[in-house]
Amino acid sequence: MLEVKQMVAGYGRLTALKGVDITVKEGEVVFVVGPNGAGKSTLLKTISGLMTPTAGEIRFQGDRIDGRGPETLCRRGLALIPEGRHIFKTLTVQENLQVGAMIRKDSADVRSDMEMVLDTFPILRERFKGVAGYLSGGEQQQLAIARSILQRPALLMIDEPSLGLAPLVIDQVYDSLRKLNETGLTLLIVEQSTGRVMELASRIYVLRNGKVVLEGDREELTDTSALDAAYFGFSSDAA
Amino acid sequence: MRIFERLFPVLALVVPLAGVVWTIDQFGSAGVERVSTEALIRLVFAIGLYIFAGNSGIVSFGHMTFCAIAAYATAWQTCCAMLKPITMSGLPAFIRDNTFPLLPAALTSIGLAGVVAFTSGLILMRLSSLSASISTLALMFILNVIYSNWTTVTMGSSTIVGLPVYVTIWIALGCAALVIVIAYLYQVSRWGLMLRATREDEVAAQASGTSLYWSRLIAFTLSGFVAGLAGVLFAHFMGTVSIANFFLNHTFLIVAMLVIGGMQSLAGAVVGVTFISVVIELFRRAEVGFSVGSMQMSIPAGSQELILAGIMLLILIFRKAGIMGGKELRWPWSVRDDGTVAGVGQVRLARSANCHR
Repeated sequence: MLEVKQMVAGYGRLTALKGVDITVKEGEVVFVVGPNGAGKSTLLKTISGLMTPTAGEIRFQGDRIDGRGPETLCRRGLALIPEGRHIFKTLTVQENLQVGAMIRKDSADVRSDMEMVLDTFPILRERFKGVAGYLSGGEQQQLAIARSILQRPALLMIDEPSLGLAPLVIDQVYDSLRKLNETGLTLLIVEQSTGRVMELASRIYVLRNGKVVLEGDREELTDTSALDAAYFGFSSDAA
Repeated sequence: MRIFERLFPVLALVVPLAGVVWTIDQFGSAGVERVSTEALIRLVFAIGLYIFAGNSGIVSFGHMTFCAIAAYATAWQTCCAMLKPITMSGLPAFIRDNTFPLLPAALTSIGLAGVVAFTSGLILMRLSSLSASISTLALMFILNVIYSNWTTVTMGSSTIVGLPVYVTIWIALGCAALVIVIAYLYQVSRWGLMLRATREDEVAAQASGTSLYWSRLIAFTLSGFVAGLAGVLFAHFMGTVSIANFFLNHTFLIVAMLVIGGMQSLAGAVVGVTFISVVIELFRRAEVGFSVGSMQMSIPAGSQELILAGIMLLILIFRKAGIMGGKELRWPWSVRDDGTVAGVGQVRLARSANCHR
Protein backbone atom coordinates (compact mmCIF):
# COMPACT_ATOMS: atom_id res chain seq x y z
CA MET A 1 0.00 0.00 0.00
CA LEU A 2 2.78 2.39 0.94
CA GLU A 3 6.33 2.01 -0.32
CA VAL A 4 9.16 4.32 0.63
CA LYS A 5 12.38 3.75 -1.31
CA GLN A 6 15.79 5.22 -0.50
CA MET A 7 14.18 8.41 0.73
CA VAL A 8 16.42 11.33 1.71
CA ALA A 9 15.02 14.40 3.45
CA GLY A 10 16.23 17.12 5.73
CA TYR A 11 16.17 20.70 6.87
CA GLY A 12 18.55 22.89 4.88
CA ARG A 13 22.05 21.48 5.32
CA LEU A 14 20.95 19.00 7.95
CA THR A 15 20.01 15.64 6.49
CA ALA A 16 17.55 13.91 8.81
CA LEU A 17 16.78 10.86 6.68
CA LYS A 18 19.63 9.21 4.81
CA GLY A 19 18.04 6.71 2.47
CA VAL A 20 15.14 5.04 4.25
CA ASP A 21 13.12 2.08 2.95
CA ILE A 22 9.78 1.31 4.51
CA THR A 23 6.87 -0.80 3.32
CA VAL A 24 3.36 -0.89 4.73
CA LYS A 25 0.89 -3.51 3.51
CA GLU A 26 -2.86 -3.26 3.69
CA GLY A 27 -4.33 -4.05 7.10
CA GLU A 28 -0.99 -3.90 8.93
CA VAL A 29 0.02 -1.94 11.98
CA VAL A 30 3.57 -0.81 11.33
CA PHE A 31 5.60 0.85 14.04
CA VAL A 32 8.65 3.03 13.56
CA VAL A 33 10.59 3.45 16.77
CA GLY A 34 13.78 5.23 17.55
CA PRO A 35 15.46 7.65 19.95
CA ASN A 36 15.28 11.45 19.77
CA GLY A 37 16.56 12.86 16.52
CA ALA A 38 16.35 9.59 14.64
CA GLY A 39 14.19 11.17 11.95
CA LYS A 40 10.85 9.59 12.88
CA SER A 41 8.76 12.76 12.65
CA THR A 42 10.60 13.82 9.50
CA LEU A 43 9.63 10.49 7.98
CA LEU A 44 5.91 11.04 8.61
CA LYS A 45 6.04 14.69 7.56
CA THR A 46 7.69 13.75 4.29
CA ILE A 47 5.28 10.91 3.51
CA SER A 48 2.28 13.14 4.23
CA GLY A 49 3.58 15.93 1.98
CA LEU A 50 4.36 18.53 4.64
CA MET A 51 8.02 18.24 3.55
CA THR A 52 9.47 17.42 0.14
CA PRO A 53 12.09 14.65 -0.04
CA THR A 54 15.39 15.54 -1.71
CA ALA A 55 15.85 12.06 -3.16
CA GLY A 56 14.14 8.71 -3.35
CA GLU A 57 10.54 7.89 -4.07
CA ILE A 58 7.27 7.36 -2.22
CA ARG A 59 4.48 5.26 -3.69
CA PHE A 60 0.97 5.09 -2.28
CA GLN A 61 -1.41 2.53 -3.77
CA GLY A 62 0.94 2.25 -6.73
CA ASP A 63 1.29 5.94 -7.58
CA ARG A 64 4.23 8.26 -6.99
CA ILE A 65 3.18 10.81 -4.37
CA ASP A 66 6.43 12.52 -3.38
CA GLY A 67 6.22 16.28 -3.89
CA ARG A 68 2.42 16.41 -3.66
CA GLY A 69 0.81 18.81 -1.16
CA PRO A 70 -0.66 17.51 2.10
CA GLU A 71 -4.24 18.46 1.25
CA THR A 72 -4.05 16.50 -2.03
CA LEU A 73 -2.72 13.42 -0.27
CA CYS A 74 -5.34 13.74 2.42
CA ARG A 75 -8.03 13.58 -0.25
CA ARG A 76 -6.41 10.41 -1.57
CA GLY A 77 -6.78 8.67 1.77
CA LEU A 78 -3.50 9.37 3.53
CA ALA A 79 -4.15 10.89 6.94
CA LEU A 80 -1.62 12.20 9.45
CA ILE A 81 -2.02 13.03 13.11
CA PRO A 82 0.95 15.29 13.78
CA GLU A 83 2.99 15.10 16.95
CA GLY A 84 1.64 16.83 20.02
CA ARG A 85 -2.14 16.72 19.59
CA HIS A 86 -2.79 19.33 16.95
CA ILE A 87 -6.42 20.14 17.56
CA PHE A 88 -8.22 23.41 16.85
CA LYS A 89 -8.35 24.77 20.38
CA THR A 90 -10.87 27.59 20.13
CA LEU A 91 -13.29 25.57 18.01
CA THR A 92 -15.82 23.22 19.60
CA VAL A 93 -15.41 19.45 19.57
CA GLN A 94 -18.19 19.31 17.01
CA GLU A 95 -16.45 21.80 14.74
CA ASN A 96 -13.14 19.95 15.08
CA LEU A 97 -14.84 16.77 13.91
CA GLN A 98 -16.59 18.62 11.09
CA VAL A 99 -13.25 19.88 9.80
CA GLY A 100 -12.12 16.25 9.67
CA ALA A 101 -15.13 15.25 7.59
CA MET A 102 -14.83 18.32 5.36
CA ILE A 103 -13.23 16.55 2.41
CA ARG A 104 -16.11 14.10 2.09
CA LYS A 105 -19.19 14.69 0.01
CA ASP A 106 -21.42 11.84 1.25
CA SER A 107 -23.22 13.56 4.11
CA ALA A 108 -25.35 10.56 5.14
CA ASP A 109 -22.23 8.42 5.59
CA VAL A 110 -20.53 11.22 7.48
CA ARG A 111 -23.40 11.28 9.93
CA SER A 112 -23.22 7.55 10.58
CA ASP A 113 -19.42 7.74 10.87
CA MET A 114 -19.82 10.60 13.32
CA GLU A 115 -22.04 8.34 15.46
CA MET A 116 -19.43 5.60 15.16
CA VAL A 117 -16.54 7.74 16.43
CA LEU A 118 -18.70 9.16 19.20
CA ASP A 119 -19.42 5.57 20.26
CA THR A 120 -15.72 4.76 20.12
CA PHE A 121 -14.81 7.88 22.12
CA PRO A 122 -17.73 8.48 24.51
CA ILE A 123 -16.01 11.45 26.17
CA LEU A 124 -16.31 13.37 22.89
CA ARG A 125 -20.07 12.88 22.84
CA GLU A 126 -20.22 14.25 26.36
CA ARG A 127 -18.22 17.34 25.36
CA PHE A 128 -19.66 17.61 21.85
CA LYS A 129 -20.61 21.30 22.03
CA GLY A 130 -17.75 22.25 24.30
CA VAL A 131 -14.56 24.08 23.37
CA ALA A 132 -11.79 21.66 22.41
CA GLY A 133 -9.07 23.60 24.25
CA TYR A 134 -10.77 22.68 27.54
CA LEU A 135 -10.26 18.94 27.01
CA SER A 136 -7.51 17.13 28.88
CA GLY A 137 -4.43 15.86 27.07
CA GLY A 138 -5.76 12.34 26.58
CA GLU A 139 -9.13 13.62 25.44
CA GLN A 140 -7.41 15.91 22.95
CA GLN A 141 -5.45 12.97 21.56
CA GLN A 142 -8.70 11.03 21.20
CA LEU A 143 -10.23 14.00 19.44
CA ALA A 144 -7.27 14.18 17.05
CA ILE A 145 -7.66 10.49 16.25
CA ALA A 146 -11.44 10.79 15.87
CA ARG A 147 -11.01 13.74 13.52
CA SER A 148 -8.65 11.79 11.29
CA ILE A 149 -10.94 8.78 11.18
CA LEU A 150 -13.74 10.97 9.85
CA GLN A 151 -11.58 11.57 6.78
CA ARG A 152 -12.06 7.83 6.24
CA PRO A 153 -8.42 7.33 5.33
CA ALA A 154 -6.94 4.20 3.81
CA LEU A 155 -3.76 4.72 5.81
CA LEU A 156 -3.57 6.59 9.09
CA MET A 157 -0.18 7.84 10.28
CA ILE A 158 0.21 8.84 13.91
CA ASP A 159 3.18 10.65 15.38
CA GLU A 160 3.72 9.57 19.01
CA PRO A 161 0.16 8.85 20.16
CA SER A 162 1.36 8.22 23.72
CA LEU A 163 3.36 11.46 24.09
CA GLY A 164 2.78 13.03 27.48
CA LEU A 165 -0.09 10.75 28.45
CA ALA A 166 -0.54 8.76 31.64
CA PRO A 167 -0.22 4.95 31.27
CA LEU A 168 -3.93 4.44 31.87
CA VAL A 169 -4.80 6.92 29.13
CA ILE A 170 -2.29 5.30 26.77
CA ASP A 171 -4.21 2.06 27.36
CA GLN A 172 -7.38 3.76 26.16
CA VAL A 173 -5.69 5.24 23.11
CA TYR A 174 -4.04 1.94 22.14
CA ASP A 175 -7.28 0.14 22.74
CA SER A 176 -9.08 2.40 20.31
CA LEU A 177 -6.25 2.00 17.78
CA ARG A 178 -6.61 -1.77 17.98
CA LYS A 179 -10.36 -1.52 17.41
CA LEU A 180 -9.78 0.71 14.38
CA ASN A 181 -7.26 -1.73 12.93
CA GLU A 182 -9.78 -4.54 13.37
CA THR A 183 -12.22 -2.58 11.20
CA GLY A 184 -9.62 -2.67 8.41
CA LEU A 185 -7.72 0.58 8.88
CA THR A 186 -4.00 0.40 8.10
CA LEU A 187 -1.81 2.18 10.62
CA LEU A 188 1.72 3.58 10.52
CA ILE A 189 2.68 4.69 14.01
CA VAL A 190 5.81 6.43 15.24
CA GLU A 191 6.76 5.92 18.88
CA GLN A 192 9.72 6.94 20.95
CA SER A 193 9.58 4.02 23.34
CA THR A 194 9.52 0.35 22.45
CA GLY A 195 7.53 -0.52 25.56
CA ARG A 196 3.98 -0.70 24.20
CA VAL A 197 4.83 -1.51 20.64
CA MET A 198 4.77 -5.31 20.77
CA GLU A 199 1.13 -5.63 21.76
CA LEU A 200 -0.13 -4.01 18.58
CA ALA A 201 2.56 -4.20 15.89
CA SER A 202 2.50 -6.42 12.83
CA ARG A 203 5.91 -5.10 11.86
CA ILE A 204 8.54 -2.88 13.43
CA TYR A 205 11.27 -0.65 12.05
CA VAL A 206 13.98 0.78 14.25
CA LEU A 207 15.28 4.12 13.02
CA ARG A 208 18.61 5.54 14.20
CA ASN A 209 20.41 8.61 12.87
CA GLY A 210 18.27 8.69 9.76
CA LYS A 211 18.70 5.03 8.82
CA VAL A 212 16.71 1.87 9.36
CA VAL A 213 18.93 -0.26 11.57
CA LEU A 214 16.51 -3.11 12.17
CA GLU A 215 13.26 -4.33 10.69
CA GLY A 216 11.16 -7.38 11.27
CA ASP A 217 7.76 -8.92 11.93
CA ARG A 218 6.55 -9.21 15.46
CA GLU A 219 7.29 -12.94 15.53
CA GLU A 220 10.88 -12.38 14.49
CA LEU A 221 11.48 -9.79 17.16
CA THR A 222 10.15 -11.63 20.19
CA ASP A 223 13.70 -11.54 21.50
CA THR A 224 13.55 -7.93 22.66
CA SER A 225 17.27 -7.74 23.28
CA ALA A 226 17.89 -7.39 19.53
CA LEU A 227 15.38 -4.56 19.48
CA ASP A 228 17.00 -2.84 22.43
CA ALA A 229 20.44 -3.28 20.92
CA ALA A 230 19.36 -1.68 17.68
CA TYR A 231 17.55 1.06 19.54
CA PHE A 232 20.49 1.98 21.72
CA GLY A 233 23.06 1.40 18.99
CA PHE A 234 25.05 -1.46 20.54
CA SER A 235 27.15 -3.36 18.05
CA SER A 236 25.14 -6.07 16.35
CA ASP A 237 27.19 -9.01 17.61
CA ALA A 238 26.41 -7.96 21.15
CA ALA A 239 22.70 -8.44 20.40
CA MET B 1 -37.00 28.45 19.13
CA ARG B 2 -34.02 26.54 17.74
CA ILE B 3 -33.86 28.88 14.75
CA PHE B 4 -33.93 31.82 17.12
CA GLU B 5 -31.12 30.20 19.07
CA ARG B 6 -29.03 29.72 15.94
CA LEU B 7 -29.59 33.29 14.78
CA PHE B 8 -28.95 34.72 18.23
CA PRO B 9 -25.31 35.76 17.60
CA VAL B 10 -26.53 37.94 14.71
CA LEU B 11 -29.72 39.22 16.31
CA ALA B 12 -27.88 40.17 19.49
CA LEU B 13 -25.75 42.51 17.39
CA VAL B 14 -28.25 43.87 14.88
CA VAL B 15 -31.21 44.53 17.17
CA PRO B 16 -29.36 46.78 19.67
CA LEU B 17 -27.74 48.67 16.79
CA ALA B 18 -31.16 49.25 15.25
CA GLY B 19 -32.47 50.41 18.63
CA VAL B 20 -29.64 52.93 19.01
CA VAL B 21 -30.13 54.20 15.46
CA TRP B 22 -33.87 54.63 16.02
CA THR B 23 -33.24 56.59 19.22
CA ILE B 24 -30.72 58.84 17.47
CA ASP B 25 -33.06 59.33 14.54
CA GLN B 26 -35.87 60.37 16.87
CA PHE B 27 -34.07 62.40 19.51
CA GLY B 28 -30.49 63.03 18.42
CA SER B 29 -29.11 66.24 16.95
CA ALA B 30 -27.91 66.43 13.36
CA GLY B 31 -24.33 66.29 14.62
CA VAL B 32 -24.88 63.09 16.57
CA GLU B 33 -26.61 61.54 13.60
CA ARG B 34 -23.66 62.39 11.34
CA VAL B 35 -21.13 60.94 13.73
CA SER B 36 -23.21 57.78 14.15
CA THR B 37 -23.56 57.34 10.40
CA GLU B 38 -19.81 57.57 10.02
CA ALA B 39 -19.35 55.03 12.82
CA LEU B 40 -21.73 52.62 11.07
CA ILE B 41 -19.74 52.95 7.83
CA ARG B 42 -16.57 52.25 9.78
CA LEU B 43 -18.36 49.21 11.16
CA VAL B 44 -18.98 47.97 7.62
CA PHE B 45 -15.28 48.34 6.90
CA ALA B 46 -14.24 46.76 10.20
CA ILE B 47 -16.43 43.73 9.53
CA GLY B 48 -14.93 43.46 6.06
CA LEU B 49 -11.50 43.39 7.66
CA TYR B 50 -12.74 40.93 10.29
CA ILE B 51 -13.96 38.45 7.67
CA PHE B 52 -10.36 37.99 6.60
CA ALA B 53 -8.25 38.91 9.64
CA GLY B 54 -10.52 37.47 12.34
CA ASN B 55 -11.03 34.10 10.73
CA SER B 56 -7.54 33.63 9.29
CA GLY B 57 -5.54 35.16 12.16
CA ILE B 58 -3.59 37.24 9.62
CA VAL B 59 -3.94 40.97 10.22
CA SER B 60 -4.32 42.92 7.02
CA PHE B 61 -3.13 46.51 6.99
CA GLY B 62 -4.03 46.95 3.36
CA HIS B 63 -7.81 46.78 3.21
CA MET B 64 -8.06 50.55 2.71
CA THR B 65 -6.81 49.76 -0.80
CA PHE B 66 -10.11 48.14 -1.72
CA CYS B 67 -12.02 50.88 0.03
CA ALA B 68 -10.21 53.52 -2.05
CA ILE B 69 -10.64 51.63 -5.30
CA ALA B 70 -14.40 51.40 -4.85
CA ALA B 71 -14.72 55.02 -3.68
CA TYR B 72 -12.86 56.32 -6.72
CA ALA B 73 -14.76 54.01 -9.04
CA THR B 74 -18.11 55.30 -7.86
CA ALA B 75 -16.84 58.89 -7.99
CA TRP B 76 -15.82 58.44 -11.63
CA GLN B 77 -19.26 57.16 -12.49
CA THR B 78 -21.54 59.48 -10.56
CA CYS B 79 -19.73 62.74 -9.92
CA CYS B 80 -19.90 66.16 -11.43
CA ALA B 81 -20.95 65.77 -15.06
CA MET B 82 -19.85 69.25 -16.04
CA LEU B 83 -16.37 69.27 -14.49
CA LYS B 84 -15.42 65.67 -15.16
CA PRO B 85 -14.23 66.10 -18.76
CA ILE B 86 -11.84 68.83 -17.60
CA THR B 87 -10.62 67.65 -14.19
CA MET B 88 -10.44 63.94 -15.00
CA SER B 89 -9.67 64.07 -18.70
CA GLY B 90 -7.78 60.77 -18.64
CA LEU B 91 -10.89 58.69 -17.94
CA PRO B 92 -12.13 56.44 -20.76
CA ALA B 93 -14.61 58.36 -22.91
CA PHE B 94 -17.73 56.41 -21.95
CA ILE B 95 -17.15 57.12 -18.28
CA ARG B 96 -15.94 60.67 -18.78
CA ASP B 97 -18.92 61.76 -20.84
CA ASN B 98 -21.69 59.89 -19.02
CA THR B 99 -23.16 59.90 -15.55
CA PHE B 100 -24.38 56.53 -14.33
CA PRO B 101 -27.30 55.74 -12.01
CA LEU B 102 -26.31 55.37 -8.35
CA LEU B 103 -27.11 51.71 -7.74
CA PRO B 104 -25.34 50.24 -10.79
CA ALA B 105 -22.40 52.53 -10.07
CA ALA B 106 -22.23 51.26 -6.48
CA LEU B 107 -22.45 47.62 -7.55
CA THR B 108 -19.78 47.87 -10.24
CA SER B 109 -17.48 49.72 -7.83
CA ILE B 110 -17.90 47.03 -5.19
CA GLY B 111 -17.32 44.44 -7.88
CA LEU B 112 -14.11 46.14 -8.95
CA ALA B 113 -12.83 46.19 -5.36
CA GLY B 114 -13.57 42.47 -5.06
CA VAL B 115 -11.80 41.67 -8.32
CA VAL B 116 -8.72 43.62 -7.23
CA ALA B 117 -8.78 41.80 -3.87
CA PHE B 118 -8.95 38.46 -5.66
CA THR B 119 -6.16 39.33 -8.09
CA SER B 120 -3.78 40.65 -5.45
CA GLY B 121 -4.75 37.75 -3.19
CA LEU B 122 -3.61 35.30 -5.87
CA ILE B 123 -0.07 36.41 -5.06
CA LEU B 124 -0.26 37.61 -1.46
CA MET B 125 -2.05 34.56 -0.06
CA ARG B 126 0.85 32.33 -1.10
CA LEU B 127 2.91 34.01 1.62
CA SER B 128 3.06 32.80 5.19
CA SER B 129 1.12 34.74 7.77
CA LEU B 130 3.48 37.54 8.84
CA SER B 131 4.79 38.13 5.31
CA ALA B 132 1.20 38.29 4.09
CA SER B 133 0.41 40.95 6.70
CA ILE B 134 3.34 43.12 5.69
CA SER B 135 2.68 42.67 1.99
CA THR B 136 -0.89 43.97 2.37
CA LEU B 137 0.67 47.15 3.73
CA ALA B 138 2.88 47.28 0.65
CA LEU B 139 -0.23 46.92 -1.51
CA MET B 140 -1.77 49.98 0.12
CA PHE B 141 1.40 52.01 -0.47
CA ILE B 142 1.46 51.02 -4.13
CA LEU B 143 -2.14 52.13 -4.59
CA ASN B 144 -1.53 55.33 -2.67
CA VAL B 145 1.43 56.28 -4.86
CA ILE B 146 -0.42 55.48 -8.07
CA TYR B 147 -3.60 57.35 -7.16
CA SER B 148 -1.68 60.35 -5.80
CA ASN B 149 0.18 60.77 -9.07
CA TRP B 150 -2.31 59.66 -11.71
CA THR B 151 -3.50 63.24 -11.98
CA THR B 152 -5.55 63.03 -15.16
CA VAL B 153 -7.73 60.25 -13.73
CA THR B 154 -7.76 60.64 -9.96
CA MET B 155 -7.00 64.38 -9.69
CA GLY B 156 -3.87 63.36 -7.82
CA SER B 157 -3.86 64.34 -4.19
CA SER B 158 -6.66 66.88 -4.69
CA THR B 159 -10.13 66.10 -3.48
CA ILE B 160 -12.89 65.08 -5.88
CA VAL B 161 -16.00 66.99 -4.81
CA GLY B 162 -19.62 66.94 -5.80
CA LEU B 163 -20.61 63.29 -5.42
CA PRO B 164 -24.31 62.74 -4.78
CA VAL B 165 -24.86 62.38 -1.02
CA TYR B 166 -27.43 59.68 -0.37
CA VAL B 167 -26.10 57.73 2.61
CA THR B 168 -28.41 58.35 5.56
CA ILE B 169 -28.10 56.70 8.95
CA TRP B 170 -30.71 54.12 7.92
CA ILE B 171 -28.83 53.17 4.75
CA ALA B 172 -25.64 52.83 6.78
CA LEU B 173 -27.47 50.66 9.32
CA GLY B 174 -28.96 48.51 6.56
CA CYS B 175 -25.52 47.90 5.05
CA ALA B 176 -23.99 47.18 8.47
CA ALA B 177 -26.74 44.65 9.22
CA LEU B 178 -26.26 43.07 5.81
CA VAL B 179 -22.51 42.59 6.25
CA ILE B 180 -22.99 41.27 9.80
CA VAL B 181 -25.27 38.59 8.34
CA ILE B 182 -22.81 37.87 5.51
CA ALA B 183 -19.87 37.65 7.91
CA TYR B 184 -21.79 35.29 10.19
CA LEU B 185 -22.98 33.03 7.38
CA TYR B 186 -19.43 32.90 6.08
CA GLN B 187 -17.85 32.03 9.40
CA VAL B 188 -20.19 29.12 10.07
CA SER B 189 -19.91 27.89 6.49
CA ARG B 190 -17.62 25.10 5.35
CA TRP B 191 -15.01 27.56 4.08
CA GLY B 192 -15.20 29.71 7.19
CA LEU B 193 -14.74 26.68 9.41
CA MET B 194 -11.73 25.56 7.38
CA LEU B 195 -10.16 29.00 7.64
CA ARG B 196 -10.68 29.12 11.41
CA ALA B 197 -9.05 25.69 11.58
CA THR B 198 -5.98 27.05 9.76
CA ARG B 199 -5.89 29.94 12.22
CA GLU B 200 -5.68 27.50 15.12
CA ASP B 201 -3.22 25.06 13.62
CA GLU B 202 -1.84 25.21 10.09
CA VAL B 203 -0.31 21.74 10.16
CA ALA B 204 -3.39 19.95 11.42
CA ALA B 205 -5.63 21.89 9.07
CA GLN B 206 -3.53 20.85 6.09
CA ALA B 207 -3.51 17.29 7.36
CA SER B 208 -7.32 17.48 7.38
CA GLY B 209 -7.37 18.36 3.70
CA THR B 210 -7.61 22.14 3.96
CA SER B 211 -5.68 24.24 1.48
CA LEU B 212 -4.19 27.24 3.30
CA TYR B 213 -4.00 29.12 0.02
CA TRP B 214 -7.58 28.68 -1.17
CA SER B 215 -9.26 29.07 2.19
CA ARG B 216 -7.39 32.36 2.71
CA LEU B 217 -7.95 33.59 -0.83
CA ILE B 218 -11.71 33.11 -0.57
CA ALA B 219 -11.87 35.13 2.65
CA PHE B 220 -9.57 37.81 1.26
CA THR B 221 -11.80 38.23 -1.80
CA LEU B 222 -15.01 38.33 0.22
CA SER B 223 -13.54 40.89 2.60
CA GLY B 224 -12.40 42.91 -0.43
CA PHE B 225 -16.01 43.14 -1.60
CA VAL B 226 -17.17 44.30 1.83
CA ALA B 227 -14.35 46.86 2.10
CA GLY B 228 -15.47 48.08 -1.33
CA LEU B 229 -19.00 48.55 -0.02
CA ALA B 230 -17.56 50.63 2.82
CA GLY B 231 -15.67 52.71 0.25
CA VAL B 232 -18.85 53.44 -1.71
CA LEU B 233 -20.64 54.40 1.50
CA PHE B 234 -17.79 56.70 2.58
CA ALA B 235 -17.80 58.42 -0.82
CA HIS B 236 -21.54 59.03 -0.89
CA PHE B 237 -21.67 60.00 2.77
CA MET B 238 -18.95 62.67 2.56
CA GLY B 239 -19.72 63.70 -1.00
CA THR B 240 -15.98 63.95 -1.54
CA VAL B 241 -13.17 61.51 -2.26
CA SER B 242 -9.54 62.09 -1.42
CA ILE B 243 -6.74 59.52 -1.40
CA ALA B 244 -5.42 60.93 1.88
CA ASN B 245 -8.51 59.55 3.64
CA PHE B 246 -7.65 56.02 2.60
CA PHE B 247 -4.26 55.69 4.21
CA LEU B 248 -2.47 54.88 7.43
CA ASN B 249 -4.52 57.00 9.85
CA HIS B 250 -7.79 55.39 8.98
CA THR B 251 -6.26 51.92 8.70
CA PHE B 252 -4.76 51.99 12.14
CA LEU B 253 -7.87 53.48 13.70
CA ILE B 254 -9.89 50.53 12.47
CA VAL B 255 -7.25 47.94 13.33
CA ALA B 256 -7.21 49.48 16.82
CA MET B 257 -11.00 49.12 17.00
CA LEU B 258 -10.71 45.44 16.08
CA VAL B 259 -7.90 44.80 18.56
CA ILE B 260 -9.79 46.49 21.37
CA GLY B 261 -13.09 44.75 20.65
CA GLY B 262 -11.48 41.39 20.02
CA MET B 263 -10.16 40.38 16.63
CA GLN B 264 -11.44 36.82 16.65
CA SER B 265 -15.17 37.30 16.82
CA LEU B 266 -17.87 39.19 14.99
CA ALA B 267 -19.20 40.50 18.29
CA GLY B 268 -15.71 41.81 19.03
CA ALA B 269 -15.66 43.82 15.80
CA VAL B 270 -19.05 45.39 16.54
CA VAL B 271 -18.26 46.11 20.19
CA GLY B 272 -14.83 47.55 19.32
CA VAL B 273 -16.13 49.95 16.69
CA THR B 274 -19.03 51.09 18.88
CA PHE B 275 -16.92 51.53 21.99
CA ILE B 276 -14.09 53.43 20.31
CA SER B 277 -16.45 55.61 18.27
CA VAL B 278 -18.18 56.70 21.48
CA VAL B 279 -14.87 57.34 23.27
CA ILE B 280 -13.47 59.35 20.36
CA GLU B 281 -16.60 61.46 20.08
CA LEU B 282 -16.71 62.19 23.82
CA PHE B 283 -13.11 63.35 23.91
CA ARG B 284 -13.43 65.26 20.66
CA ARG B 285 -16.21 67.25 22.28
CA ALA B 286 -14.15 67.70 25.40
CA GLU B 287 -11.32 69.09 23.27
CA VAL B 288 -13.71 71.58 21.68
CA GLY B 289 -14.86 72.56 25.16
CA PHE B 290 -17.98 72.27 27.25
CA SER B 291 -19.46 74.44 29.92
CA VAL B 292 -20.15 73.42 33.50
CA GLY B 293 -22.35 76.11 35.02
CA SER B 294 -20.68 79.36 34.04
CA MET B 295 -17.22 77.79 33.62
CA GLN B 296 -15.88 76.95 30.17
CA MET B 297 -13.69 73.86 30.25
CA SER B 298 -11.71 71.96 27.66
CA ILE B 299 -8.92 69.41 27.50
CA PRO B 300 -5.76 69.94 25.44
CA ALA B 301 -5.99 69.22 21.73
CA GLY B 302 -4.67 65.81 20.78
CA SER B 303 -5.59 64.14 24.06
CA GLN B 304 -8.19 62.08 22.19
CA GLU B 305 -5.39 60.23 20.34
CA LEU B 306 -3.48 59.71 23.58
CA ILE B 307 -6.55 58.26 25.29
CA LEU B 308 -7.09 55.89 22.38
CA ALA B 309 -3.46 54.74 22.55
CA GLY B 310 -3.81 54.32 26.31
CA ILE B 311 -6.92 52.16 25.97
CA MET B 312 -5.20 50.02 23.39
CA LEU B 313 -2.20 49.48 25.64
CA LEU B 314 -4.40 48.54 28.59
CA ILE B 315 -6.30 46.04 26.47
CA LEU B 316 -3.10 44.49 25.12
CA ILE B 317 -1.68 44.14 28.62
CA PHE B 318 -4.72 42.96 30.55
CA ARG B 319 -7.04 41.40 28.00
CA LYS B 320 -5.10 40.32 24.98
CA ALA B 321 -8.06 38.79 23.17
CA GLY B 322 -10.02 42.08 23.34
CA ILE B 323 -13.16 43.12 25.18
CA MET B 324 -15.17 40.19 23.85
CA GLY B 325 -12.26 37.77 24.26
CA GLY B 326 -12.83 36.21 20.85
CA LYS B 327 -16.31 35.02 21.81
CA GLU B 328 -19.66 35.40 20.13
CA LEU B 329 -22.74 36.34 22.09
CA ARG B 330 -24.60 33.13 22.68
CA TRP B 331 -28.11 32.11 23.52
CA PRO B 332 -28.30 32.21 27.33
CA TRP B 333 -29.78 28.73 27.77
CA SER B 334 -27.49 26.75 25.55
CA VAL B 335 -24.53 24.53 26.30
CA ARG B 336 -21.46 25.82 28.15
CA ASP B 337 -17.86 25.75 26.98
CA ASP B 338 -17.19 22.60 28.96
CA GLY B 339 -20.21 20.86 27.47
CA THR B 340 -22.71 21.21 30.32
CA VAL B 341 -25.86 23.31 30.14
CA ALA B 342 -25.64 26.82 31.51
CA GLY B 343 -27.96 28.05 34.25
CA VAL B 344 -30.97 30.21 33.46
CA GLY B 345 -30.28 33.93 33.24
CA GLN B 346 -26.59 33.75 32.49
CA VAL B 347 -25.40 35.03 29.13
CA ARG B 348 -22.90 32.44 28.05
CA LEU B 349 -20.05 33.26 25.73
CA ALA B 350 -18.70 30.75 23.26
CA ARG B 351 -15.20 30.06 22.05
CA SER B 352 -12.66 31.43 24.39
CA ALA B 353 -9.54 32.53 22.60
CA ASN B 354 -7.66 32.38 25.89
CA CYS B 355 -8.00 28.75 26.72
CA HIS B 356 -4.77 26.83 27.05
CA ARG B 357 -2.55 29.56 25.69
